[in-house]
Amino acid sequence: MTAQTGRTVEKWTTFKIDDSGDTLRTVTGVKSINGVGLTYDEMDVTALADALKNVLPGHPDLSITVVGKFDTTALTGFHTVFSGINGVNTPLSLDIQIGMRHAWESGEPQFGITSSATSGMICTSYVVDVNASEATATLKVMGPTAPAWGTLVET
Amino acid sequence: MTGRTVAKHARFYMGGYDLSGYARTFGPLVWTYDEQGEAALSDEIKNYLPGHPTVSVGQLNGFFDNTATSGLHVVASTAGVIRTVMAPIGMRAAPAAGDPVWGGQYTQLGYQSTGEGLVGVNIPFGGWDNSGTTEAYDQPWGVLLHAKGAETAASTTTGAGIDTAGGQTTKGGYMIYQVFTGTGAVTISIDDSSDDSSYGALTDATIAIADASTPQAGIVALGKTDTVEQYLRWQIAAGGGFSTVTFALAFVRGR
Repeated sequence: MTAQTGRTVEKWTTFKIDDSGDTLRTVTGVKSINGVGLTYDEMDVTALADALKNVLPGHPDLSITVVGKFDTTALTGFHTVFSGINGVNTPLSLDIQIGMRHAWESGEPQFGITSSATSGMICTSYVVDVNASEATATLKVMGPTAPAWGTLVET
Repeated sequence: MTGRTVAKHARFYMGGYDLSGYARTFGPLVWTYDEQGEAALSDEIKNYLPGHPTVSVGQLNGFFDNTATSGLHVVASTAGVIRTVMAPIGMRAAPAAGDPVWGGQYTQLGYQSTGEGLVGVNIPFGGWDNSGTTEAYDQPWGVLLHAKGAETAASTTTGAGIDTAGGQTTKGGYMIYQVFTGTGAVTISIDDSSDDSSYGALTDATIAIADASTPQAGIVALGKTDTVEQYLRWQIAAGGGFSTVTFALAFVRGR
């Protein structure tokens, strides 16, 4: 099937991130992903003589929160992957693929970054809710390069 | 087993006591790094490096129970002391060797009876305790090598180990143990192996228990650059008067 356009539902979303061995994994057990996309600081540059308040965009920021089941599946489980990368100073590749009413394929929207030696994502928090058998991971940017929306796979 | 699970298969051990039968909930199990960073002028985006992590076992909520020796009120009513905690997470069954374990040494900050009706207890824990021996390590998640259970004889040389890494590492780690009950003296240790066949003693991963009848727990840290082979297994050696020991053992591999 070729890439489709239009609307979709969450079940076609795939979450991929590098594991502790720098291998991109499709993480199993993901329940929700929030904060996908850049948000810019709004810098007020209004002068006295201006007729109205006016602004310029500053640096963007990105904080992605991923919630998943406490899953120990070998290599790909939510706990397996995030307990291995939390706090590690190595830039990680990230690929969040949003399939359009079917499994994602090239040409459909994705958000992410292909890591380099200096840029990528890092995991800064991994918190387990034992009672719900769930965990929450937080991802931030490391290095000067911004992740972006695209339509091609990250590696 | 691997995969997903539910809370009823989690256990909470503290200071050589299995509090799972008195606990209703615990957590959240927090492992969060300070986000240190700011963007340079020419950077496309704000960016960060991980700073010091906060590691906390959260709170234990349980039943106010004064059962002699083992009741939660008897075991935990004294706050302001250091507690060695292990929380194995069983995968769709009671915890077994190979399952993930949250461990660490934390200060018990309080002990308060709570609630209406059935009287409960809330026990808040602080962060990683300063007097612990593991400040060189920043991770609390390890692998269970010996699920809580009794052993009545010294280990043999056979028996499969647990693959805790997928390969050799050279960044040490620490073992964490809980001795619940027993008789006499016993030494608990860990062997490692590169092939799950030929095992040798893992340097420094050993603890001598003078009297296993006293509930006790602790952490034994390896050197930060110690080599740890891919496979690990528990061992015990009988000491004077030994006949049985009920214990749980886990290992957290350094990185």
